[in-house]
Amino acid sequence: MARLNTPVARILLGLIVPVLILFWWQAQSAQGGARALAFVPLQEVGATLVAQLASGFLLNDALATLSRAVTGLVLGGLAGTALGVAMAMSRPLDRVVGPLYHAVRQVPLLGWLPLIGLWVGNGDEAKLLIVSLAAFYPTVLNSYEGVRTVEQRYVEVARLFGFSAGQRFVHVLLPAALPLILTGVAQALAFAWIATIGTEMLFGANAGLGATMGVAQAQQRMDIILVAILAAASLGFTLHYSIASLRRHLLRWQPVIH
Amino acid sequence: MNHLTRIAAGLAPLFGLLLLWQLASASGVFPPQVLVPPSEVGATLAQLWRNGELWDHLGTSLFRLVFGFLAGAAIGLAFGTAIALSRLLEALFAPLFQAVRQVPVLAFIPMLVLLLGIEERFKIVVVAVAVFFPVALAAFDGVRGIPKSYFEVARLYRTPALPFVTRILLPAAIPPVLTGLRLGLTRGWLVLVACELLAADSGIGQMMEMGRQMFRIDVVLAGVFVSGLVGFFLDRSVKLVERRFVRWKEA
Amino acid sequence: MTLHTRIEPPPAAADAPATGALTVSGLSKDFRIDGAALSVLDRIDLDIRAGEFVSIVGASGCGKSTLLRLIAGLDTDYAGEIRLDGKRIAGTSLDRGLIFQDHRLFPWLTLEENVGLALLNTDIPKAQRARIVAEHIALVNLSGFEKAYPHQLSGGMAQRAAIARALVTEPKLLLLDEPLGALDALTRVHVQHELQRIWRTHRSTMIMVTHDVEEAVFLGDRVVVMDARPGRIRRIVDIDLPHPRDRSSPVLHRLRDEILAELTGPPPENLVHLPVREVRV
Repeated sequence: MARLNTPVARILLGLIVPVLILFWWQAQSAQGGARALAFVPLQEVGATLVAQLASGFLLNDALATLSRAVTGLVLGGLAGTALGVAMAMSRPLDRVVGPLYHAVRQVPLLGWLPLIGLWVGNGDEAKLLIVSLAAFYPTVLNSYEGVRTVEQRYVEVARLFGFSAGQRFVHVLLPAALPLILTGVAQALAFAWIATIGTEMLFGANAGLGATMGVAQAQQRMDIILVAILAAASLGFTLHYSIASLRRHLLRWQPVIH
Repeated sequence: MNHLTRIAAGLAPLFGLLLLWQLASASGVFPPQVLVPPSEVGATLAQLWRNGELWDHLGTSLFRLVFGFLAGAAIGLAFGTAIALSRLLEALFAPLFQAVRQVPVLAFIPMLVLLLGIEERFKIVVVAVAVFFPVALAAFDGVRGIPKSYFEVARLYRTPALPFVTRILLPAAIPPVLTGLRLGLTRGWLVLVACELLAADSGIGQMMEMGRQMFRIDVVLAGVFVSGLVGFFLDRSVKLVERRFVRWKEA
Repeated sequence: MTLHTRIEPPPAAADAPATGALTVSGLSKDFRIDGAALSVLDRIDLDIRAGEFVSIVGASGCGKSTLLRLIAGLDTDYAGEIRLDGKRIAGTSLDRGLIFQDHRLFPWLTLEENVGLALLNTDIPKAQRARIVAEHIALVNLSGFEKAYPHQLSGGMAQRAAIARALVTEPKLLLLDEPLGALDALTRVHVQHELQRIWRTHRSTMIMVTHDVEEAVFLGDRVVVMDARPGRIRRIVDIDLPHPRDRSSPVLHRLRDEILAELTGPPPENLVHLPVREVRV
């Protein structure tokens, strides 16, 4: 079993199941009839991928989805961090807003879509609102926790050195809360990504991976759907990886736990 | 503050909001398109309750949720435990698992619609997929987290397989698994509502979407309230079970 | 306030600075637990000369740490008076520094950033700050580790860094609350020597709480022995030995044994509250 541990062996083993699935897929598509509609032959998927890339459609879609997700992440993340920090520092605010936040959070995120649709229509503002909301929830929670669990010991040191409240906030509270705030950002990214694609699917859009998937479903074009899924997966992975790297850099002062 | 006072303090802002909302819509500043007083929402809810529509939708949604959850959780538990116990299985399946995990379940909906149609089967599968990932992960963590010493002691005493699993493995792995089940349940509910919004002819999600298309904001708000309530109860009930197990564990 | 002269060879005793004298009069503190008042400190009187090193020993619960926190200004709820150089204290101040048993370096800052941050509210011009920080890091023998993060430092190093941070603001009075308690025995001996060297170089007034009687006797000019519940000063022992101290000195050992016996034995029958009773060697 020692041979399992070499990187090459691991890669090969990891590929076995995906390759088998691809074979099974191809076999299904060869059966013709209704099967061929759903199980599009792999070469067609490949051709569609190339065509989509060449025509720029894929890039267009990817950029649209990406910009929505990132914008929503920034808006919702900033708002959420501000509220979470404020709630952690002000008991009265916590008492009033806390229950409201928890109540609102119980509603499945995309369950807000019809309501937002009635209020704001289904254009870009509506989508951005939902995505920001998706990013908002986890950042509020995590930044609240982050500030609340700042150790009193560090605050005492700040007092000994005569720090004003503002200085305590900038030099102690924020840096100490940063790990949890960043955790919130990572979660917010995941939620924002899901929300972007889901909203695009329901509301439709000029460009966007989710919108394209919705249209492709109506046209029964599995190949386009698969290409879009691939793009969504790669983009999602890249975003996740970038945030993780940013987090590692900002938190380089933390001891490494193995 | 004792327990009752705390609940009251928690509910007070909610009642405050309801009051504000009632006053705001009564003032006539907002058109009925945008804001409908909570009293009207309540009336709609009561009506839907009486004529059975609410129960139809709710029942259908819950039916899908329960079956999807059971399927996804069972497969997730089996899968997670298997790859935690066998290095070979882990090497074979973990990479694919991690890769597919990156894709939001919602993104699979169009694909699954083409493969399965939009019957009940499709929705149950979607819920099962949504439940599968967090449960599998939790099972993996739970089993991997069992100290090696447990295994060694079991081998020393030549404990046969089944008692080992039920008396040693399961209790040690249960807390993280319960958390995973709770996460799976809430995620399943989330995905189900989304799924019903997008591709269904019944269920709470579909009720809301219809409300939107008919510009019946009271129906939409009723749906929002019900879906939130269900989400709350699901979360709470599993948390209660978790707490009971934690207490037992500490005993 | 003038800046002290820096890392020079130990100045002669005549050079001792005139600032940093602490007077504590009638200091009492109660803690409220379930409505009942628990007396933690009971009419503490203490006179500490400028530049002195005073050790405080006593059983747990005798309020030693509370005393330091009150002097530092972290706690302002007490009866009685605390005066530094004649002036009543009010809250925290850069004149009075405090070192804890845990180093409390900010984990997200490097060593030099940690030390530098202490200078935030001083009026030392920015241009000079880097130099002052470097000097104090050298003072505690941590040159070369300026860019290290706290988690990369050993316990002893981190505590020395905390000392550097506390001294960089040139406090008149440095309070140390069981500073070496978290260190292993070997490191403790090493840092005790460092502490003595730093004190001789710097000559700020230092008050150190410790549960290690040998350490108290080794470092202190005087040792304050406290009783517990309520916290009172039982007596103050003069350590009339020259610096640098010789750890193997029999006089030192005798004093240590005396104080230990006092702490572990029954309280003296005639415990009348006298401010100071001295024991001559």
